[in-house]
Amino acid sequence: MNVTASLRSLYRKLTWTWNPQSDKEAGDAIVKNLLLHWFPNKITKGSLSWGYSFYLGTISFVLLVILVVTGVILMFLYVPSVERAYATVKDIEFTVSFGWVLRAMHRIAAHLMVATVFLHMVRVFLTGAYKNGSSVGAARPLNWIVGIVLLILTLLLSFTGYLLPWDQLAYWAITVGTNIASAAPLVGKSLRFFLLGGSEIDQNALIRFYVLHVVFLPGLLFLLFSYHMWRVRKDGGLAIVDHEALQQTTEQAAPVKAKTYSLLGITGQTSVHVRTAVVDEEKNSVPSAPNLARRVWLVTLLTFAVVLALSLVFRAPLESPANPSVTPNPAKAPWYFLWLQEIVTITTVSIGSFTVNGAFVGGVLLPGVLIILALWWPFRDRTGVNAVGVWFAPERRWQNRVFIAICLLIIIFTFVGTFMRGPYWTLFWPWESWPEMPVKF
Amino acid sequence: MDHTSNNERLGFVKKDHLILAICGLAVFALVAFVFYDSARPEWQTYQTEFRDLVEEKFGPERANSVPAGIQQVYVRELGRADRCITCHMGVVWKGLESAPEPYRTHPKEIIDKHPIEKFGCTSCHGGQGYATVTEAAHGPLEQWEEPLLGSRMGEFYVLNDKQALMQMNCNSCHRYDRETKGASFINRGKQIVSERGCRACHAINGRGGTVGPDLTSEGSKAPDQFNYERIKGFHSEFTWHVTHFKSPKELVPETVMPSFGFSSADAQALAILVMSWKKETIPLAYLPNHNVRDVPTVEEKAKEERMLSGPGAFFVKKNCFVCHSVSTLGIDAAAQIGPDLALAVTDVQSRFGRTLDDFLFKPTGTMEVVLSTMISLSPDERREAIEKLRYANQLKQQEVAETAKKKK
Repeated sequence: MNVTASLRSLYRKLTWTWNPQSDKEAGDAIVKNLLLHWFPNKITKGSLSWGYSFYLGTISFVLLVILVVTGVILMFLYVPSVERAYATVKDIEFTVSFGWVLRAMHRIAAHLMVATVFLHMVRVFLTGAYKNGSSVGAARPLNWIVGIVLLILTLLLSFTGYLLPWDQLAYWAITVGTNIASAAPLVGKSLRFFLLGGSEIDQNALIRFYVLHVVFLPGLLFLLFSYHMWRVRKDGGLAIVDHEALQQTTEQAAPVKAKTYSLLGITGQTSVHVRTAVVDEEKNSVPSAPNLARRVWLVTLLTFAVVLALSLVFRAPLESPANPSVTPNPAKAPWYFLWLQEIVTITTVSIGSFTVNGAFVGGVLLPGVLIILALWWPFRDRTGVNAVGVWFAPERRWQNRVFIAICLLIIIFTFVGTFMRGPYWTLFWPWESWPEMPVKF
Repeated sequence: MDHTSNNERLGFVKKDHLILAICGLAVFALVAFVFYDSARPEWQTYQTEFRDLVEEKFGPERANSVPAGIQQVYVRELGRADRCITCHMGVVWKGLESAPEPYRTHPKEIIDKHPIEKFGCTSCHGGQGYATVTEAAHGPLEQWEEPLLGSRMGEFYVLNDKQALMQMNCNSCHRYDRETKGASFINRGKQIVSERGCRACHAINGRGGTVGPDLTSEGSKAPDQFNYERIKGFHSEFTWHVTHFKSPKELVPETVMPSFGFSSADAQALAILVMSWKKETIPLAYLPNHNVRDVPTVEEKAKEERMLSGPGAFFVKKNCFVCHSVSTLGIDAAAQIGPDLALAVTDVQSRFGRTLDDFLFKPTGTMEVVLSTMISLSPDERREAIEKLRYANQLKQQEVAETAKKKK
């Protein structure tokens, strides 16, 4: 055998799982390749379609991978100390090779992940995908609850990362955030003390947020994410599969050939002729390797390209070093909490001698109610199997309308808080420019 | 089922291959751009030019000794890592005194006393030492509060000496010096503070009166802690201070700070001085003569004691001396904006057509404001004041009589 042929054979040995030549190889690929093992052997075309899932879960996962890779590199460069944190981030920006692009990607991917995880939840709700269909052993409501927890973990991961650069933006966003947390009834003050490791935002708070950000929360996230994926398989794949199963019809197929067999030469017979029914599901399925694998690569590359392109356009800003005696104007929470800050503002009103505690309403009551409602809803929703795995099922029209209304309100309030609240928390129209803030020189 | 024909039946496969190729190319192009961009940093151009300059002036051998890559001065004591010398490579070279910036040799006298290894660059010049690109290093930029205090900034504020703003940083260490060589604006400011008796109302370096705000950490205030409503044009803390020194009432109508009629240069000198009074911890070794306190001179101390223990002590304790001297009781006004109270008995009569007693119990004009806001006097204290002013007036009359005698 010449060298070329042996090289070709080696290449084939290493790559056959990514490019199987037969259905048998495709099936073996799923079993033998670690990266493919979480895929089903075959996947329906509906599950593969862009328009059903928009691959939002996949995108969120790819963003998580980008965050872990860039984050681990940043961990080598960042020092979580009040004296040095800011300087090390400046070094990452100015002197570390490709440091600025790593940091920008970490930041952009974090922002995008908050958005895609949220949109993933919206998709699951609007397609009724948290509901069990006809498959046996499914517990989709449980996976929805896991998903809600993953969304909260994503928000907490982003929030804890916010403090780490120890600049003005970080310091004051955490001030606003933990002050809102302290509005919780009874435990509020202790909760703030627990979060900060003291009564002031200082070294204790920084190391707490750091450990939460790099060990505790990511660990929890990976654990729950694995379970989330495992449940998808246990629940029979994407909910659209249940929808497709309802639609399937049986049709006559050619009879399977009779086979003559013998058993150890003792006995032998010819099998009976069987008339089978081919179901649509089988006809509409394709091997996951390489079809799903190709899609996931495609989504990975696309997500990476978008994150990198955005990182080149929007450099990660770093404000002045944290200064407890100088409050920036306006002091804002991270953008994904601005709808809550907006509601805090709106609900802080006095009627006569009675004052509504906005921080309690917007910071504790409302998010608490929304989370409980979300956790409970799959058990409350008693619509039938026809409403599973299909966009805007007529049966679920009213729930979808209310859900969309809530999401729109959140998005509108987020927009107002981000783009329309200027100095002194004054309301400005998007086309109005904010007054120029004074500078030292 | 044939595997290949199965794939062919799938319409999306071809499209997927196409999108995959496009995404792959996009990623490749973007990564290539990042490498291309980081392969030619701005500072490299300056370093090449500097090497050429050295080669031209001193020959190729010395040009080879020019370092390459990001350079920095790290001063642990001050917590500064200044990368300015990445471009400003000639700072400690001899013989480039007339070279163009950024290659020029630093003026010798000042850097001899303030070696770069001990002070870095930004502790005097301002700017962002971390940065390795001009724009971020020099400022001004939103994310960095301390821009380079160089001639561009000096020109903007129309200073006689374009580099004068930098003196603000001199005074971080030289704060407790009476006079600092080369810091003419700071020296002029300090001279005014002592001549005009600013301490009568304001605490400065922890020592002084309580009528006005404590100015000890005035320079650490944030720009938006000042009210700019009455300032037309550019809103900066420096502009606020200059305008305020020229005419306090113009910016703060309710203020009791008198207008001293400072010239622009004096107002600028004072603005530089007050903005240099920051709350910062300077290592002891950096303070000239390890001086950590603003100690009054022997004469100042003697005068203070004399005023506080003499017959006019009442007027010091009650802060009257901020505006008024009582010459015959040995009280020297700090700001000297009110008339000498040794003449009050006759003065009030001729100005207001009322007796001193009447006036002090029912004052009008400025004194009405002062006695209802800043200085509170009980009826007993008012009587005490009148008594003392009568005595001061008697002394004044005697003095006048004596001088008249002498003249004769």
